[in-house]
Amino acid sequence: MITIDNLTVSFGAVQALRSVSFVAETGKITAVLGANGAGKTTLLRTISGLKDPKSGTIRMDERNLVSMKTEDIARLGIGHVPEGRGVIGEFTVEENLRLGAMMAKVNLREGLDDQYAQFPVLGERRKQHAAKLSGGERQMLAMARALIAKPSVLLLDEPSLGLAPLVTSQLMHTIQALCETSDLTVILVEQNATSALRIAHHAVVLHVGKAVANDTAANVAANENLRQYYLGLVE
Amino acid sequence: MDPFLTSRIVSDILGGLTNGVTYGMVALSLVLIWRSTGILNFAQGAMPMFATYVGFGLLSYHWGYWPCVVVCVVAGLLLGGLTERLLVRGLYGKPEINPIVVMVGFLIVLEAIAASIWSSTPRSLPSPFSSVDWHLAGKPLSLSPFTVYEISTALVVMIAVAALFRFTKLGLQLRASALAPEVSRLLGVRVGRLLTLGWMLATVVGVITTILVAGGGFFSGLTPQVMDGIFAYGFIAAAIGGLESPVGAIVAGVVLGIVNQFVDDFVNQNAVIIIALVLLIVALMIRPSGVFTKIAHRRV
Amino acid sequence: MTRTWTRQRVPIAIALAIVATAISLVSATTTRDGVAFSVAVDVAIACLAALTQASFKTSHPVVTRAALTLLGLDVAIFITFFLSSSANFNLATGAAMSIVLLGLSFLTGASGQISLGNGAFMGVGAFVMAIWANHHATTPIVVTLLIAVVCGALVGLLLGLPATRLRGPYLAGMTLAFAVAFIFILGSFSSWTGGDSGLQLPTEVTAPRWLDGLFHAGTSPLTTSTLYLTDIAIVVAGVAFFFMANLFTSRIGRAMRLIRDNDVAAELVGISLPRTRVIAFIVSSAYAALGGALFTLINNAASPSTYSFALSVTILSLIVIGGIGTISGAVIGGIIYAFSTNVISWITSQTGLNPQGNFASQLNGILFGGLLIVTMLFAPFGIAGAVRMLWRRVRLRRPG
Repeated sequence: MITIDNLTVSFGAVQALRSVSFVAETGKITAVLGANGAGKTTLLRTISGLKDPKSGTIRMDERNLVSMKTEDIARLGIGHVPEGRGVIGEFTVEENLRLGAMMAKVNLREGLDDQYAQFPVLGERRKQHAAKLSGGERQMLAMARALIAKPSVLLLDEPSLGLAPLVTSQLMHTIQALCETSDLTVILVEQNATSALRIAHHAVVLHVGKAVANDTAANVAANENLRQYYLGLVE
Repeated sequence: MDPFLTSRIVSDILGGLTNGVTYGMVALSLVLIWRSTGILNFAQGAMPMFATYVGFGLLSYHWGYWPCVVVCVVAGLLLGGLTERLLVRGLYGKPEINPIVVMVGFLIVLEAIAASIWSSTPRSLPSPFSSVDWHLAGKPLSLSPFTVYEISTALVVMIAVAALFRFTKLGLQLRASALAPEVSRLLGVRVGRLLTLGWMLATVVGVITTILVAGGGFFSGLTPQVMDGIFAYGFIAAAIGGLESPVGAIVAGVVLGIVNQFVDDFVNQNAVIIIALVLLIVALMIRPSGVFTKIAHRRV
Repeated sequence: MTRTWTRQRVPIAIALAIVATAISLVSATTTRDGVAFSVAVDVAIACLAALTQASFKTSHPVVTRAALTLLGLDVAIFITFFLSSSANFNLATGAAMSIVLLGLSFLTGASGQISLGNGAFMGVGAFVMAIWANHHATTPIVVTLLIAVVCGALVGLLLGLPATRLRGPYLAGMTLAFAVAFIFILGSFSSWTGGDSGLQLPTEVTAPRWLDGLFHAGTSPLTTSTLYLTDIAIVVAGVAFFFMANLFTSRIGRAMRLIRDNDVAAELVGISLPRTRVIAFIVSSAYAALGGALFTLINNAASPSTYSFALSVTILSLIVIGGIGTISGAVIGGIIYAFSTNVISWITSQTGLNPQGNFASQLNGILFGGLLIVTMLFAPFGIAGAVRMLWRRVRLRRPG
């Protein structure tokens, strides 16, 4: 479970997040929605320690993550699939996965087998350089790389970006299934709000750094007034 | 073909190979540091020189060759690590000129301090192998037990470094830290520690090179400037081979060493660096990112 | 604007002119030193008059700079008349070095390129001067200096062309290779360059007759010739600085600074990157050659060991400490160079070190290298830059 409390993040004079608060419950998918520039990516980066907040706390099981280094936060079991996937093109598929497994005390062979079972395409291309994969395959690799470490929290930054609708829907099913089979806490940042809301339990809507909604996914989806924020129709 | 010419050519190739592997090792260290931290370490010759002085300064206490070598390596590890932590940490992400100037300054300081503590007179190091050239059909061959030691040690080092990078977990992490530092951190890789390790490794490679270069017997000896020329040629080799390519660095180093030997033998001593300079300019004109690199992406 | 000047300021200008003439006449009748004094005062007053006219300043910036330069030269030359021979020598050396520093400051600051080879470019100028003087002893000094500058520019062109395609570390390395190779290049042409021992100037430079006349009888020719050389160095430096100041604010200078800061934007605006970079390189090498030629003049000789890689590093250190990209930085660096030997021997004597010992002889390297590191880490803009930032902070605190 991740508890965000009054988080404020600024880049110089620009405030990217203003007193944002919400709770991402264990075993549930929390969607974070909003237009471009609403602060969604900043939120995830701050949780992972790539950016220091001006004020506020981020708690995971009583521990405040704010003062910690990124590497240490990752080692606590927070997996982050960044915007653009962050797949290392010069490595092979298997090397990328090995890198992901490194910090966790998992059996490499087992981990690899699990991920190849979950994503057979990766198993087929295991010796290929990651740069040669398609967008959808890269997304799978990035997720497998995060999952191989058996994280307790998964931060996903716009996983559907650049993917065809069919692939997106498959991806969302996979995320949903993962969440149901383990006690994974998922924070899902998405511009594709419709598909995110379909699988999410809880939703937060950001608008220019402020949280304008913090409710169950069903309520947020039903609220017509909110649609303008995450469809980017408001200035 | 004229047998005298043949033996001369063979001799040049062997002699060039001996020098070439030292250039290759310096080039390898430069590429290591460049790839992991984006800094061109102008003190890549001076730092190992200093560590070597620390180790062999103990000769006066009647330590043997090999114990001194061990001390040199340890000193190199410490110096490399401390330099990265104290001096270089503040330079990441700064304009390109800053680290260049700082490392040049460091080079000057190290050479000056070494000269003031240990003086500039060349010190001969005890040699575990004889430097007397073998003869083939009456002509000296530019090959002696010591040069064999030199070449084989260099090869072992290069293979060890290659194996480290390719086959070990540590190597994977080092490569990842260089290619994608932020993503690596998100995967729990302690990038900071690995950078320090990278510098320590590069310095140790340099220390081994210095010991080989300075220990050769007749015309060698340890002086504060002993690595200056080697550094210059090592840099030229790294630049020609492409600062991104470890293999390119080694190959370019060996080739340069051989070319130099031929120029020295068939033209004259002055021409060696001039030709090397011309080769560098030509190589950079053809391919600003070096001959062995794939087209470099703009680091935007 | 000229009209307001003539109408309102004429009375003041006339008054000043009368005062100046009066002083001149009075002192000219007294001593020979007095003539020098009165000339100095006249020039100073004229310059101040030009500088204080605000309207004049803004509409004719070039002339204002010229006036400022003249004023500076005037004061400097005046001072040299009263300095000892060795002080003048140091001053001359400092002036020559400041020209070299100015070139490197321009290259690095204005166009963002690095050169570790300016010591070698100095050597080019130095040896061209020496070789020419040995073969054509009658050429006037100014002409020989110009020839040295042209040669420096040509070598700069030769190296600048490949340099345009290189990014920072490669450029630094290429210039380093050149600096290291330079001594060997000299050695290859040892019949011209005099081998290891270098060349001497065929005839000692002596002061012309009229300068002698300004001194009391019995002044040693060494004093007057040192003075003469120092004044030549100062005048040449003044001219060099004047050109640089104008270059910096010109269209080319602005183009270079745009490239330094954002080469993508510069390309979009239509500035030709390679051409501007080459020009910067040529300017920097020409200036270095000029400094080197002056060095030969001052020392009466050119020897290969002077123009080593160590000299290139010294040059880099001096301008980093003085302040990259600034004109005042070059002056500061020149002053430091001029008096560094004195400072070091002072330190040696104060700390009781053995002057012949290892540590003392390496003090130069330790201090310069150390200063280079410290400056780059904590004050990358050098003394001039630090002063400028301090000045800005003071200005911001005081309203108006």
